[in-house]
Amino acid sequence: MSVGLEHYLIVSAALFSLGLLGVIMRRNLLVIYMSLELMLNAANLALVAFSRFNNNLDGQLMVFFIITVAAAEVAVGLALIVALYRKRQSAHVEDLVSMKL
Amino acid sequence: MNTSLIVLEIAVVLLGLGVLLADLWLPAERRRALGLAAAFGVMMVLCYSFRLDASVPQFAFGQSYVFDALALFFKRFFLFAAVLVLVMSVEFSDSFHGGASEFYALVLFALAGMMFAASAGGFVLLFVSLELITVTFYVLVSFQRHRAQSLEAGVKYLILGALSSGFLVYGIALVFGAGGTMDFAQLQQKLAANHELAHKPILLAGLLLVLVGLGFKIAAFPFQIWAPDVYQGAPAPTTAFLAVGSKAAGIVLLLRLLQGAVPDVAQHWEKLLMVMSGVTILYGSLCAIPQRGLKRLLGYSSIASAGYLLLGFAAMSRAGSVAILYYLGGYLFTVLAAFAVLCVVLRQADSDDISALAGLGQRSPLLAAALTMAMVSLAGIPPLAGFFGKFLLLKAVVEAGADNPAFYWLLAVALVGVVISLYYCFGVIRAIYWSKNTADTSAIEISMPLRASLYACIAGMLYLGLFPRAAVDAAALAVNVLKL
Repeated sequence: MSVGLEHYLIVSAALFSLGLLGVIMRRNLLVIYMSLELMLNAANLALVAFSRFNNNLDGQLMVFFIITVAAAEVAVGLALIVALYRKRQSAHVEDLVSMKL
Repeated sequence: MNTSLIVLEIAVVLLGLGVLLADLWLPAERRRALGLAAAFGVMMVLCYSFRLDASVPQFAFGQSYVFDALALFFKRFFLFAAVLVLVMSVEFSDSFHGGASEFYALVLFALAGMMFAASAGGFVLLFVSLELITVTFYVLVSFQRHRAQSLEAGVKYLILGALSSGFLVYGIALVFGAGGTMDFAQLQQKLAANHELAHKPILLAGLLLVLVGLGFKIAAFPFQIWAPDVYQGAPAPTTAFLAVGSKAAGIVLLLRLLQGAVPDVAQHWEKLLMVMSGVTILYGSLCAIPQRGLKRLLGYSSIASAGYLLLGFAAMSRAGSVAILYYLGGYLFTVLAAFAVLCVVLRQADSDDISALAGLGQRSPLLAAALTMAMVSLAGIPPLAGFFGKFLLLKAVVEAGADNPAFYWLLAVALVGVVISLYYCFGVIRAIYWSKNTADTSAIEISMPLRASLYACIAGMLYLGLFPRAAVDAAALAVNVLKL
């Protein structure tokens, strides 16, 4: 069996759905954040696959930008979550309720 | 490659780095002037931008950076907004408990992101500039680390912002897969040459996901959940920049995408855009009614504004695009005037409840007048800028109604939204002039730069409202580059 574009896309869609599911279902901020990274990597996989099968390197190039930006986002995000943890002693979404209607 | 095209962005980034470096060497008591120096620097860049000529579109970095009339219009918009935001942050800097210089630098970096967004000619720059804005705003929103609310707002913005960029990136991947290109111009040519492509499900799914990412930025329904909490928790200058700059960056990217890159697809999306716009207007206006917090109130009203801006997209006409640009111009002055007043009032009162405005009419006539005018303009009462902006948008909707009667329903919804906004805007004005329990009647001192920016906002609201011709012409010139 040869591996075609659709196989890559199915894996990528599965990764994306798993990430989305994790964001919706999990209650810990760090796990949610990991799931978000999974979603970005699902997109990276799709981009690389499209790049390879379209013979167009633009997609690969985009992946480099996404990886770089994701690294910056993680640095800022983790710092924020740590700051919140120090203030609240908790990293659970149920505790983010100080602002209500 | 023509690097001289990005001279404005380079200047802004250098200014930001300069602020960070100067912070190292300046003694603490003189750092306050640093924010004003940054504001002055941005003003110089703004002045320089009037020497640039963008009548012929020019490109850099392949096709991914475009310098045209639309880009220049929005770059000036962002630069002007940043000047006022920097002045506000100087006013507000005592509430940061240290690190004010980093705040100024981050505002400048976010500004650079917005200016790049105005020039996005492809998905690469769209993504990178959007992320530059969003990641900077994560820090700006949670800048008051001693306040739990500020941190909480920051984390909420972080999670939902990262989620929306996940959708955006996946959407870009799908569009790239279907269209085979990252550039807007090439995508447009391919769509025009090949009508089959516009109906390819994978392309449509990708574009919808990109729309999710951009809808999040402008806080349109159903991606508006973050807005009220983040607006409430963030420091007031950040909220102002979020309401004006970040939203306008989303709008310019939507313009470039829907009306520049994929007009053939967007033509079929009028129902989707109409529903989004109508629901956003109703949601923002209705939820604003019971609010007691001023920042939260402005948060809901900014959701409603996103709905009005979407009216222009739903109309899918040149008149609609001109109206979008004009409305944004009026919105800039209106919202920044309101937040400039809030910065001063919140610093004094330490709560953002509407009752903090009690007696403002006696304490400072200028602040009271500026906030009143901002509210009147936000509600859309003539002769201020907000009225004419809404008028142009509704006119574009009525014109579109000639082909599709559903637009008249949309018009009715928008009018209901306007009536509701009258109610909550007048609640604020009542609190300024007619509240009974005035605890504090001492006069409020306003610093010279803030006074100047308040006058600038008032002048802008009056000028755009009374003499709309020049601004409409400028907007018409800017939207010439779009494919409509």
